[in-house]
Amino acid sequence: MITLKTFSYKPSDHEAERASNSYLMSVIALMVGMPFPIVNLIATFIFYLGNRKSTYFVRWHCMQALLSQISLFIPNAYSFYWTISILMGEKELNNDYFAFVIIVAAVNFIEFLATIYTATKSRKGIHVEWMFYGDLANLICPPKS
Amino acid sequence: MKNPLIQLGIIAAVLIISWQALRQVDWLTLFRVEQATQNTEEKLGDLLWEYNSTLEIELKSDSALAPLKKIVFLICEHNNIDSSEIKLHLLQNSEVNAFAMPDDHLVIYTGLIANCQNAEELSGVIGHELGHLVENHVMKKLIKEIGLSILISMTTGNGGGEIIQETFGALTSKAYDRDLEREADTLSVGYLLNANINPAPFGEFLFRLAQGHENDLDALYWLSTHPHSEERAANVFKFIENEEHPKDTLMSPSDWKQYQNYIAHEQ
Repeated sequence: MITLKTFSYKPSDHEAERASNSYLMSVIALMVGMPFPIVNLIATFIFYLGNRKSTYFVRWHCMQALLSQISLFIPNAYSFYWTISILMGEKELNNDYFAFVIIVAAVNFIEFLATIYTATKSRKGIHVEWMFYGDLANLICPPKS
Repeated sequence: MKNPLIQLGIIAAVLIISWQALRQVDWLTLFRVEQATQNTEEKLGDLLWEYNSTLEIELKSDSALAPLKKIVFLICEHNNIDSSEIKLHLLQNSEVNAFAMPDDHLVIYTGLIANCQNAEELSGVIGHELGHLVENHVMKKLIKEIGLSILISMTTGNGGGEIIQETFGALTSKAYDRDLEREADTLSVGYLLNANINPAPFGEFLFRLAQGHENDLDALYWLSTHPHSEERAANVFKFIENEEHPKDTLMSPSDWKQYQNYIAHEQ
């Protein structure tokens, strides 16, 4: 799921701090913006925009954080819409809803743990690649772009 | 496994399989959701009925209630509805109105009986309100109008008089969604046909109200809570055009007139 890899160069302490912050940004925004699922995505996106001309290590980790937030946004937004629909009486509470919310909560929890882990590792300059997101970030964010 | 598409496929497959597995669990029973919903509805029904009973006089004599109970029992018996759950109330009020309340309270105003030309017309309205109860339209409407959190707070004793008044008003003087009204009409016609009651008078009742309300302020009240009566009457007629109408009547014209006179006298 998560692999520690050697990066193409050794990032400086300043780079490691900014890369780590890209993950922390989504966690802090998640806590502040609860229960609105868009807040952490916006925060991560703004952080990415601010660092898109930064060094490769920073850009790469901003991209991995952003990709994970984009993919989380869809199920989070849908579960938010589903919950509001139930509260407004548009939809009925059923087993499908509970199953969906449990899966979404589990995915969020795993993503949260992975984010904290990666933030601490990247702060030490260690390159961490997540399954799927890491490969996608490699495709979208080449060394010289 | 470098291809991101394959990885995405694996992740999606794991999530879908997990969701399918979790869907098999009866979470509603596990979290006692149905019991909690039932308790909330019961408390809400009691609270609103308690409020209503302070405003209007209920007719409780057997002579006043017997024809209504007969109609409710007949419809319920032929449509797998537990008639013992239905709490029927007849209230002294000249407005042409009937409405359903949480916890299966079915309220009929004497003004409705006075404006129905026969028992079949009344049966159509009763079937319509039973449809709202069976399909849980009452709670859906309240949740939409008032909000679930406020409804729950009311049942825990935190609802003020104004909120109770507003909730009661939402039930008695605000229309359901057009789709819910149409669904209740369709259910009512189905119920009547199953119970061998002629549904055509129900359509005539809706049509008459839509046509003749200009001179009748009490009927205007019904129209405000049940809009689009003309369109709904047309839907009822369309629904039953290919159905064979039962010939038997619930009450003879003289018996119906006698009942109306009795109710009017009670007022």
